[in-house]
Amino acid sequence: MSGATLPVALHLRQADRATAIRYFARRNPRMLIGGAMVLTWLLLALLAPFIAPYDPIKVNVSGALQPPSGIHFLGTDDLGRDVFSRVLWGSRVSLSVGVISVSIGFLVGVTLGLAAGYLGGTFDLLVMRAIDALLAFPALVLAIAITAALGPQIQNAMIAIGIVAVPAYARLTRGQVLSVRAREFIVAARTIGCSPLRIVLRHIFPNVTNALIVQATLSTAFAILAEAALSFLGLGPQPPDPSWGQDVNYSQRYLPNLKWWMSVGPGVAIFTAVFAFNFLGDALRDALDPRLRRSA
Amino acid sequence: MRSARYSLAFVAAFAILLAACTGGQQTTGGGASPTPAAGKPVYGGTVTFGLENDVSDLDPMRSGLFVDRNIMYAMYDSLVRVDPKGNIIPWLAEKWETGSDGKTVTFTLRKDAKFHDGTTFDADAVKWNIDRYRTTQGSRRTADLAAVDSVNVVDSSTVRFNLKLAFAPLLAALVDRAGMMVSKAVHDAAGADFTLKPFKAGTGPFILTEAVKNDHYTLEKNPNWWGKDKDGNKLPYLEKIIVRPIVDDDVRLTNLRTGNVQVMNDIAGKDVPAVKTDPSLNYQEVGALAFNSMVPNEAPGFIFSEHRYVKAVAMALDRDELLQKGSQQGVGLVGWGPITPAHFAWDPNFKPWPKADPEGAKRLIAEVGRGPLKFELLVQSGSASTLQQAQLIQDQLKRADITADIKTQLFNDIVTLQQQKKHLGMTLVGWSGRLDPDGNTYDFVVTGSPNNDSSYSNAKVDELMKQQRAEPDPAKRKALLLEAQQIYVVDDPSRVWYSFEISPIISVKNLVGLEAHPDRIPRFHTGWLQK
Amino acid sequence: MTRYILRRLLLMVPVAFLVTIGVFVLVRLSPGDPVLVFAGEERDPAVLAAMRQELGLDQPMPAQYVAWVTRLAQGDLGRSFQTRQRVLEAITERLPATLELGLAALLISVTLALAVGILSAIKRNSVVDLLSTSVTLAGVSFPSFFLGIVLILLFAYVIPGRIFPPGGYVPFTQDAGDNLRRLVLPALTLATASLAINLRQVRSSLLDVFGQDYMRTARAKGLREGTVIVRHALKNALIPVVTLIGIQIGAIIEGAFITETIFFWPGIGRLAVTAIPSGDYPVVQGVVLVSALSFMLTTLLVDLLYAWLDPRISYEKVGA
Repeated sequence: MSGATLPVALHLRQADRATAIRYFARRNPRMLIGGAMVLTWLLLALLAPFIAPYDPIKVNVSGALQPPSGIHFLGTDDLGRDVFSRVLWGSRVSLSVGVISVSIGFLVGVTLGLAAGYLGGTFDLLVMRAIDALLAFPALVLAIAITAALGPQIQNAMIAIGIVAVPAYARLTRGQVLSVRAREFIVAARTIGCSPLRIVLRHIFPNVTNALIVQATLSTAFAILAEAALSFLGLGPQPPDPSWGQDVNYSQRYLPNLKWWMSVGPGVAIFTAVFAFNFLGDALRDALDPRLRRSA
Repeated sequence: MRSARYSLAFVAAFAILLAACTGGQQTTGGGASPTPAAGKPVYGGTVTFGLENDVSDLDPMRSGLFVDRNIMYAMYDSLVRVDPKGNIIPWLAEKWETGSDGKTVTFTLRKDAKFHDGTTFDADAVKWNIDRYRTTQGSRRTADLAAVDSVNVVDSSTVRFNLKLAFAPLLAALVDRAGMMVSKAVHDAAGADFTLKPFKAGTGPFILTEAVKNDHYTLEKNPNWWGKDKDGNKLPYLEKIIVRPIVDDDVRLTNLRTGNVQVMNDIAGKDVPAVKTDPSLNYQEVGALAFNSMVPNEAPGFIFSEHRYVKAVAMALDRDELLQKGSQQGVGLVGWGPITPAHFAWDPNFKPWPKADPEGAKRLIAEVGRGPLKFELLVQSGSASTLQQAQLIQDQLKRADITADIKTQLFNDIVTLQQQKKHLGMTLVGWSGRLDPDGNTYDFVVTGSPNNDSSYSNAKVDELMKQQRAEPDPAKRKALLLEAQQIYVVDDPSRVWYSFEISPIISVKNLVGLEAHPDRIPRFHTGWLQK
Repeated sequence: MTRYILRRLLLMVPVAFLVTIGVFVLVRLSPGDPVLVFAGEERDPAVLAAMRQELGLDQPMPAQYVAWVTRLAQGDLGRSFQTRQRVLEAITERLPATLELGLAALLISVTLALAVGILSAIKRNSVVDLLSTSVTLAGVSFPSFFLGIVLILLFAYVIPGRIFPPGGYVPFTQDAGDNLRRLVLPALTLATASLAINLRQVRSSLLDVFGQDYMRTARAKGLREGTVIVRHALKNALIPVVTLIGIQIGAIIEGAFITETIFFWPGIGRLAVTAIPSGDYPVVQGVVLVSALSFMLTTLLVDLLYAWLDPRISYEKVGA
């Protein structure tokens, strides 16, 4: 992230990034694999209505608790619903929570970070103390507490996970802003009379995007995991909507009776989806963060 | 067992009550046999009791949780008790007599009962206890004793309750905490500690000697207890009982199977079949006093202010399927109203909708003429078995084109919404049950009563319910209770009742002599360990 | 140094103050009236009013907050609505179980992370390395509650003999063997997520150190490879690992909520999870506050340790 001295140089930097990605995609197949895994889950979620063999909420008590078979790939749950279809439909909940809550965290965090870094002074002090207070809670504990307080609904889980993600974005952005604020091109932009908003958006923000892309990918993984954990504790979507975390919780009480398939379907789904985003995030970090490129 | 010793001797004195109790004994079939002949009882031994939750308060005046009573029944005696069939039997009171106008009840007390701390139990003790329950601010027994105007000590072993009005359910209330006798000396000395450490405070078969919050409670044998078995041997047999709270069903059962615990009285429905056939365990069950129901909000402005909608839901439910495939997993009984098979007023023929009737429900909704019925069903979040139950109900209602939108909420929030009568549609709420059917009905259906969360109001029901309270003749009382039930269940429904619970008691094979009671509370004074 | 510590501690005060407000507001946002739950089936309005008064719930919200913070300042967390037990006592009672689980998990994750991390850093890009990086990523991605369930399934129902019971806790003082047997599965579950993070950290900081000049110098001096790694590389690479161990207090507190729930482990996480639905405010407030404060304190402690280990860090440039 060094070298740029004038606003014009930014375009070069973006080209740089594209080249770096292409270079690494060739050099480093991890990114391709990660991207493919993420894309697969996105497609499954998108196409769930067409691929799922059964209605995910159709109750059929006479066919309850059937083990996996050719008819029900992953068996049926205690209300006779097809676990495979529920897993497919459940991906919609998990992925949309991931995307929406990360967007919340991203928007709020980046805005606060940019504002705090650029404005400085009392505003900066207040924002950073509030961020410290947020960071004083272990992330998941905070998400649990917020969701429980707002009411156990999926929208509130999204808000909670979004809030929990705010500090990372805010700190990242603010740090970058502080380090570029004094650079020549910003000073130059300021002297030629650019509005603060323009300076922040056009000149400062692009300098943070690399790190933010990595952070967003990794925090999507965290968000999916956190949603699953919240749903597991009963703080997720409303039944009968399929939800991975809730379905794992739901199936837990049948473990002593060895009805393992109810847990394994949604459990493996959570794992693979989180793994996909972590994998991609890791690969992106290696590709986009030159500091890590050396050591990894 | 021990009840046999008394039941003949006092027939004359409480014929009313015995007659009142002939109706109701029924079990869910297999597994309900009493402990098989186990030989001659032997003395000694320690038993660990796995209780479903930690106790909150051991002062009968303040206690509000079911778990508390499980310890209290061993350490305190009450004026009267109830046998496994639901008959009220003498206990600290050897006999009692109701005045001709029903407005006085005179108890004759045992002379051989002593508190664990050595102080005597007499009429003064009864007066002090009842007055404490009635008049202390914050007492939770005031409602039980609301009919009592004053208590008179006639002589040291005779005490008279003067009532404000004839109140048939009073005696049933004295079976439980409102009738439990506490040593004044212990109470006064313990101060604030009395709530959790009422050591030596009772007259019961066991003495509370140790209370470690969240860990265990120790009850030691009271060698001077007045009770005797049918052969005249002194009770209790057991030397010590350790009560250990174990919240989780699976963990509790595992502890029973591995021998860390010898007895428990709460089990998940899904585990019952396995336990019944386990040769190392004794399983007994008896119909309980508890009911399960759906509570609509019938206040003006809410969907269910149209009572025909409530009826449509009641008709659409497939109660058999719900019992077999829902959270109860077949452990319980289907039901249509609040009066259970364990109550004297039980009517086995009361089956308004013996089969689910989705078509009838559809017709009823069409008759209202406001389009399809859609409502919000509030369900406690995080409870897998309740959620499963709710989703099954949702599916059954769908068969009658009724849409129930499940909304999960924290337990506390649901309770609050329901009691403030702000829930939009229905909630799923049960009742642990009371010995007298009045405790399962009156407060739920009479206009403005505390448990009437559906805001139900029906003048005829109010009148019938008030009449039954004052009616001393059980047969007439039963008729009144059933007439009211027909109205608030079928003709102008206040709630949707769908099932009853059972009360189990599960012990290791060599712990014998315990009997399942409708209230689910174990009576340890008859239990003993085979060598 | 003293000045630095003082400054950090002083900076903690406003944050801790914000945290108490946050905790209080969060817990009280829920619309429920806890008295209705704790009254059980009691519905007499007079009794409910008396209970509300006794619990201080009849006061306006700000007054309740002030009362809570005032007592807090005297080290009193109040009493549980449900059990009337002192919250501090309830927490200290359960702390041993949580600490035992947390320390066991820490031990497993740090030892394994060091062993595998060193190996994979030395044999960079080897099969071991590839395997350990993949396992690392898998570990971070595995939801702890699902891992717990898989372990329960395996050890309690598939592998015969029930070597490790599926849950429950027996105090160490009561039966040490049983206690340890029951500890294995939850500790493994809790260790996995942090193991992955530790492993990654050990590996990358070792690789970082390998590239440093003094390593080349050490090698050039002709020191044996083993000596180089232990004496020079490891010592320096350990600094961030120490940081991580500290930060893991957070992961442990967090994991406790879920792991304790699955394995019926009677720690503070389970205490809070069971207190939430019934609205036992003092308990929830107490547990969340204690976990936040201990998390803050350990973060501070680690920062200090870090600063002490690595003289390059300036004590003066702190915060904003």
